Amino acid sequence: MKIRDDLKVVRDPYSGKDYVVVPPVIPDVAVIHAVRGDRFGGITTIASRNDRLMAMAARTTIAVVEELVEPDEVLPGLQEVYVAPIHIEAVVLAAGGAHPTSCPGRYPVDAEHIRTYLEAARDEAAFREYLDVYILEPQDHSAYLRKVGFRYDGK
Amino acid sequence: MENKTIHPLEMMVVAISRLLKNGEVVATGTLSPVPAAGCLLACCTHGPDIVPMIYGDPENRISEGLFELFGLAQKGKVDVFFLSGIQIDQQGSINLSVIGDYAKPDLRLPGGAGSSMLYALCRRTILFSMNHTRRLFVPKVDFVNATAFDDGFVSPWRRGGMSHAVTPLCVMRFDGTRKRVVLDCLMPGVSVDRVAENTGFDLGSEGQEIPEVAPPSDQELALLRTEVRDRMRRIYPFFAETLWG
Repeated sequence: MKIRDDLKVVRDPYSGKDYVVVPPVIPDVAVIHAVRGDRFGGITTIASRNDRLMAMAARTTIAVVEELVEPDEVLPGLQEVYVAPIHIEAVVLAAGGAHPTSCPGRYPVDAEHIRTYLEAARDEAAFREYLDVYILEPQDHSAYLRKVGFRYDGK
Repeated sequence: MENKTIHPLEMMVVAISRLLKNGEVVATGTLSPVPAAGCLLACCTHGPDIVPMIYGDPENRISEGLFELFGLAQKGKVDVFFLSGIQIDQQGSINLSVIGDYAKPDLRLPGGAGSSMLYALCRRTILFSMNHTRRLFVPKVDFVNATAFDDGFVSPWRRGGMSHAVTPLCVMRFDGTRKRVVLDCLMPGVSVDRVAENTGFDLGSEGQEIPEVAPPSDQELALLRTEVRDRMRRIYPFFAETLWG
């Protein structure tokens, strides 16, 4: 509380005990990567992340999905949860969109590319070059995936 | 067993496994491969009734993200949790935020996340670190993210605190009477002097005979390198590959 003057002490009216409270985090925009979604915004996403919490907290949520399906096919798999359309403002179809991180059940982390990124991030010139090669030059997402040699192993 | 040489991390896994009691609900958080392996080993040795909640384990079906774990801890449903830090001090406080002055840090880290709440609300917390140095074990942390016990005041919610700390050199424990971390036992072949050289506070063990942790039994080692290894490949593939090839 010495460094965070927005933390306050309040008395719980039920127990009479004092608690420190923290103001809520309300993101302007949340971008989440989902397994599948429909045109109306219903999606399923990985349960172990806090995607649903973020979607419900943010003012605007953009869901990037691996595949676009019909509304009655938006069914969560074993490790997934459903997020209702009311929480989602936009659905973007981009298979492989989590690269170089993983989409559990679809594709693993691209460790080699992460290492490339980490090395590039060590100095300004190398990072500029990384941006040029992997972000600025590819015309679209497919071109990016070809550039990084992404192989989609399917389900 | 093709290789009888015990890797220091394997010894940590075994020591952690033995600290867990059958029937406990044991949760591990992010970036916690050694505790995860310890929990799995306990499950297939003395702890068939341990309830493992290993974050990232595809076999552990959960309803909702990490905050589900935070909710369970608040309700008192988590017996054991694991934490680490960039600094740990004699009081068992941990630092996950900054090295140096908070306003002008030498190093800024991601921060404490749920550590403060979990350290107080889980029945006991085992600290772990894959290295044991004077940079880690300091007299006083630069920034306190989470405390091992209530000092000077009693918070209305505290349920537990530090139980042990496990490193490649030793197991330490929290002494509730002296309100400080003390040396509990040594990893095989490690001397008290070596622990002392690498710890930035005194070990609280003057005049005491410090026992060694028994090396892994044949059963522990066999399970660690079969069942536990195979499950770890699915949860922490990089860690499993580094340790077991």
